[in-house]
Amino acid sequence: MNYSFDWSALWVHRDLIISGFVTTVELASISLVLATVLGIVIGTCGAVGSRGLRVLAIGWVELIRSVPLLIHMYIWYMALAVLRLPGFACAVLALSIYSSAYVTEIVRAGIENLPAGQAKAALASGLTQFQTLRLVIYPQVLRRILPSLASVFSQLIKDSSLASVIAVADITYEAGALDGMTFRTFEVYAMTLVLYLVLVSIVNQLLGALLSSSMRSSRPSPRELRDA
Amino acid sequence: MHDVIFVNRDFLAAGLLATLQISAISIVCGTLIGAVVALLRYLRVPFAARFCALYVGLIQGAPLLVVLLFCYFALPALFGYKTTAYWATVLSFSVFIGAYLAEDIRAGLQSVSPKLTQAALACGLTMPQVLRLVVLPIGVRSVIPPIISQYVRLIKFTSVASIISVQELTGNALLVNARVFEPATILSFVAIVYLIVCQAVSLFGRWLNARFAVRT
Amino acid sequence: MIDIQNVSKSYGAVPVLQDCSLSVKRGEVVVVCGPSGSGKSTLIKCVNGLEPYQSGSIKVAGVEVGARHTNLPKLRAKIGMVFQSFELYPHLCALENVMLAQIHVLRRSRDEARTRAMALLTRVGLAERAHQMPADLSGGQQQRVAIARTLALDPDAILLDEPTSALDPEMVSEVLDVITALARDGMTMMVVTHEMGFARRVADRVIFMDQGRVVEDAAAETFFAAPASARAREFLSKILAH
Repeated sequence: MNYSFDWSALWVHRDLIISGFVTTVELASISLVLATVLGIVIGTCGAVGSRGLRVLAIGWVELIRSVPLLIHMYIWYMALAVLRLPGFACAVLALSIYSSAYVTEIVRAGIENLPAGQAKAALASGLTQFQTLRLVIYPQVLRRILPSLASVFSQLIKDSSLASVIAVADITYEAGALDGMTFRTFEVYAMTLVLYLVLVSIVNQLLGALLSSSMRSSRPSPRELRDA
Repeated sequence: MHDVIFVNRDFLAAGLLATLQISAISIVCGTLIGAVVALLRYLRVPFAARFCALYVGLIQGAPLLVVLLFCYFALPALFGYKTTAYWATVLSFSVFIGAYLAEDIRAGLQSVSPKLTQAALACGLTMPQVLRLVVLPIGVRSVIPPIISQYVRLIKFTSVASIISVQELTGNALLVNARVFEPATILSFVAIVYLIVCQAVSLFGRWLNARFAVRT
Repeated sequence: MIDIQNVSKSYGAVPVLQDCSLSVKRGEVVVVCGPSGSGKSTLIKCVNGLEPYQSGSIKVAGVEVGARHTNLPKLRAKIGMVFQSFELYPHLCALENVMLAQIHVLRRSRDEARTRAMALLTRVGLAERAHQMPADLSGGQQQRVAIARTLALDPDAILLDEPTSALDPEMVSEVLDVITALARDGMTMMVVTHEMGFARRVADRVIFMDQGRVVEDAAAETFFAAPASARAREFLSKILAH
């Protein structure tokens, strides 16, 4: 092994690394918000909507999930180039829609697995459909699906690396640039791996802390509500 | 507009074949890696289990693209060997999917009740026999759906290999597009092909599960 | 046949078995009974080495179970065990359940294993269900297959750990009938059970355990007519009340 390590090259170009990191975080965060909103809307339709809506929701999920994320990105960037969206916007759209399919499934399953008595009791007490959703269904469902949502967020951060292919200056893109500049190939890609690992770990820890604090809250669990 | 696809059908078909080949090889290797890692962790083999846990944690925190670039650029640079994009792809994909399969298979192994293992031992079977005849068959057959969904994920991931110029479906489609510039048609076609392949594998998985799942 | 001497076992600081001694002669049927937590299941699992013990000795056909160099698989091939929760292999049909150990432990050929397995399933009354999966069998049927599976290795003795406790009442008698037939054919058995009626009919001796100790060890008629210890009397009166 004739490789001589030189990690200082990374320090010299730390501004590029940092800007790439920031871009990744921005990209992932914005996409997460959009994916969650879209996923909740379509997931709810899939769970409580009419038969036609349910079929559409399931079909939509299958369609989106069966197409690779890279193709999604290319579609927004190239096929829909008529829209002249900048790379970042294309990446956000592709990531959001792709991830929303997973959120949709999680939300739909979450709502469907809630005991049927919950909604019936709420409606029987005079709440409207919308109020039932807002006050009874969503709070319980959201608490139960948080672990799955956390893993969607983790996956989103990793998937965001594909944005580098459509010229979004994220961690992976800057890594390629750095490699070209310094030829410290191993150091650059090792650091890239570490950066993503750190980012994913931070997110997992944060969400883990959020989860346990929500578990400890004093609000009654669905079982308590049901047996009361 | 659709002539583009018809005219280039051989080239695109070759790309699809390559996609399926890469997927098949990576699936086989990845499953082997996953099974070995899962067993080592299930049996808590000292030192090896710890190392496997590190491997799984490392891979699961990393994007596939970065693992691929690492295997294609960084490792050859470090060790001074030459590799083709094709084999770097197969290596990185196998290692990548192996980590996820290891966790799924391990969950399957752990779902086999210890009392069943005891009953098998009580019949005079040795521990290796119990693993081979009871724990592995039941464990793996109880996690067919997660395993199949990892396989589908891998087939989608093969598109990433186009980034290092592997001539699979996405790569070939982009090459055609570079020449004729009909992204809407070409990308729609590619999307539909992936859709069909993924759905076919999922359907196969559902049949497999219905046929082989262990009922308790 | 089975010789248990001064066996003690603890989980950490909690004593589970305290200085237990009993023996089972060839051809004898010994019933072990007692309240929950008395250690009877633990004791029976020590006999074939499924549970380790800290002190004392258990000898099966002269072989010390707890010795480091003992070949446990070989020992277990000679002593069968029937579990409360049946524990049939869910991925194999009834016939294959009975064949598995024959092929891989006794190294019999598939054909010989199949023939013997069919004979055993016929003996327990389940020949027509040979190709059904455990999930399609009732609890009583599963337990009878489990007994056939144990018999497949031609064991010298059989340990039964509450064989009917997990069964619906109407299926208990079909299993007890099979066990009774085994006893009549001269099989050496150590049975942990709550079924006192069955014990009365079949047991040669009864062991009463409480809190990890062997409190009483008497011939069956003696035990049921007049138990020596107060604890045993109390237990019997509660059990026989319903």
